[in-house]
Amino acid sequence: MSGSSSADTAVSLDEVRKTYQVGEPVHALDGVSLEIPRGSYTAVMGPSGSGKSTLMNLIGCLDTPTEGSVVVNDQDVSEIGERKRTTIRGEEIGFVFQTFNLMPRLTARENVALPMVFRGVGRSERQERAAEVLQSVGLGERLGHLPNELSGGQRQRVAIARALVNDPAILLADEPTGNLDTETGAQIMGLFEELYDRENTILMVTHERDIAEHAERIIHLLDGEIERIEELSGVGK
Amino acid sequence: MNPIESLRIAWRSIKGHKLRSTLTTLGVIIGIAAVITFVTLGAGLQEGIIGDISPDDQKNVYVWAAPAENANQGPLSGAQPVMTQRDAAHIQNLSGVEDAYVFTGVSTQSIGFDGQQIARQGGVYATGPPYFDDDDIADGKRFAPGTNEAVINPAMAGLFQRNVTVGDTLSLGVFGGTEINVTVVGILENSESLSAFEGFNPSPRLYLSADSPLLRSQGADARYLAMIVEAPTRSDGDIDRTRRVTREYLTSADSDAGPRANASGLGFELKTSTELLGQLEDVLNLLQNFIVGIAAISLLVGAIGIANIMLVSVTERTREIGIMKAVGAQRRDILGLFIIEAVILGLLGAILGTLLGLGAGYAGAQFIGIPWVFPSTYAAIAVVVGILVGVLAGLYPAWNASRTDPIDALRYE
Repeated sequence: MSGSSSADTAVSLDEVRKTYQVGEPVHALDGVSLEIPRGSYTAVMGPSGSGKSTLMNLIGCLDTPTEGSVVVNDQDVSEIGERKRTTIRGEEIGFVFQTFNLMPRLTARENVALPMVFRGVGRSERQERAAEVLQSVGLGERLGHLPNELSGGQRQRVAIARALVNDPAILLADEPTGNLDTETGAQIMGLFEELYDRENTILMVTHERDIAEHAERIIHLLDGEIERIEELSGVGK
Repeated sequence: MNPIESLRIAWRSIKGHKLRSTLTTLGVIIGIAAVITFVTLGAGLQEGIIGDISPDDQKNVYVWAAPAENANQGPLSGAQPVMTQRDAAHIQNLSGVEDAYVFTGVSTQSIGFDGQQIARQGGVYATGPPYFDDDDIADGKRFAPGTNEAVINPAMAGLFQRNVTVGDTLSLGVFGGTEINVTVVGILENSESLSAFEGFNPSPRLYLSADSPLLRSQGADARYLAMIVEAPTRSDGDIDRTRRVTREYLTSADSDAGPRANASGLGFELKTSTELLGQLEDVLNLLQNFIVGIAAISLLVGAIGIANIMLVSVTERTREIGIMKAVGAQRRDILGLFIIEAVILGLLGAILGTLLGLGAGYAGAQFIGIPWVFPSTYAAIAVVVGILVGVLAGLYPAWNASRTDPIDALRYE
């Protein structure tokens, strides 16, 4: 994998190991190699403790591996300092969380504009871009609303818009439908499919088989290792 | 991150907790307001007094006898009545002395006019006619020695339902229940104090002749608290000479005052207005330092309050910090955000405290009757202190926040 051309690879992991020292060393990830092509839609499944969260944290530049390398959009993020990692995180990663994680005192538009604040984008440009992205996820009418004035599905749409606003290399979604009812969840999955159609790269962690089946492939994790990769034919291109 | 954005976000979270923010800034508000109030009053007091020293007053040497431990404690501190009219007359004839006259407060219980009795203790003085300058008197003339004539100031004239005018008769109730009538012969230009012996505030005052029958009736050998000795000019040489000859005479056995003072272990104080003012300034400065010290403690408490609330705020917003870090906020962004929030709280406290202090200082100055001085230096210092308090109080909480691990923070409930 390290030898392969990276032009169409959004994220690649090579022999990644993450060990936590909790009394005895615990291998949260134990030699995982993985390549996520650009424009792909991948689901990660596995029981609790299989290493799903650790994988997300490593790809999301929230954490560094104990061994091995993580490359995001051609940048090796396994051995760089926190500051650089934060910059890459802000520019290349879009997070979507189960609990939405919106700033409660900021409006929908301000929430979406927040990642651009830390990149130093000017105010009017932020406003314009945020409105545009909110429009694209179907919330063009809710720009000035606070999170607590929005429904769960709407909040998740705001969060997705925020994740997309910097044009990231990859969208990381952690149980994006976990806090939503089935119908709203299905709508969000519909939005993900739209994003996938628009060439966005999506990596989604879920424990629900029918949600995972929206992706083009499912990575099954078990005890910190890739158990198997399941290619699905139902979706996409 | 653009500082204006930090400011905007910090302001948003302060506004999100109005009551908490207000209570937090209260410590700083009180501290700063206390300093500004007392500094204003102190400055006003000093200016009021300095304004009161006329060139004529600068020729005067104020004399009284007091125990050594009362030295340098201000005019008439611990003074005992030892001087007589004879002393004054003798000193007046010394070479190098222009004029000399006794001065004392007269104990009264009430003052009556036109059937109206007003309880009044203090504000009645007995002295010699030269106590007044020509331009001090707006209406009428000085009292004549040996009579029960009185000079009053406008504040005293306006004390009664009907305004007192020249020629009116006032009745003074003295101790023992007797009432003595005095005739008003002069009304002063204004109600400012005429010398350091009267205190420094404008207030109702009445002046009698030191050898009026009223005072003589209290004993043939009347002793007076103080004396005012005038030098020919206000040059240092003349003042020193006046002081020297006066002291020589007063401490000699020839004088009435000397032996009496000796027997009671009293020393003579001979001070010019400028010196007395200097003493008063020392006292004021001491008081001011004391209050500034207390205010500093209040500011410290205020700073601890801000630090405390910032720590709570950081914990409360752990998740928000995690979100911001996830979307690209650097450590320094988070650090800046929380420090700015603390600085806003400190600055807000300083500005509100300054305004409150200015208001209270103004009201106080009006109430006491001294000029109001705008303490621009202190107002500027207050703002700087407010910022400093904010930075100091915010430093640790902000540093704490900046070190929050986004993984933990995003999981934080």
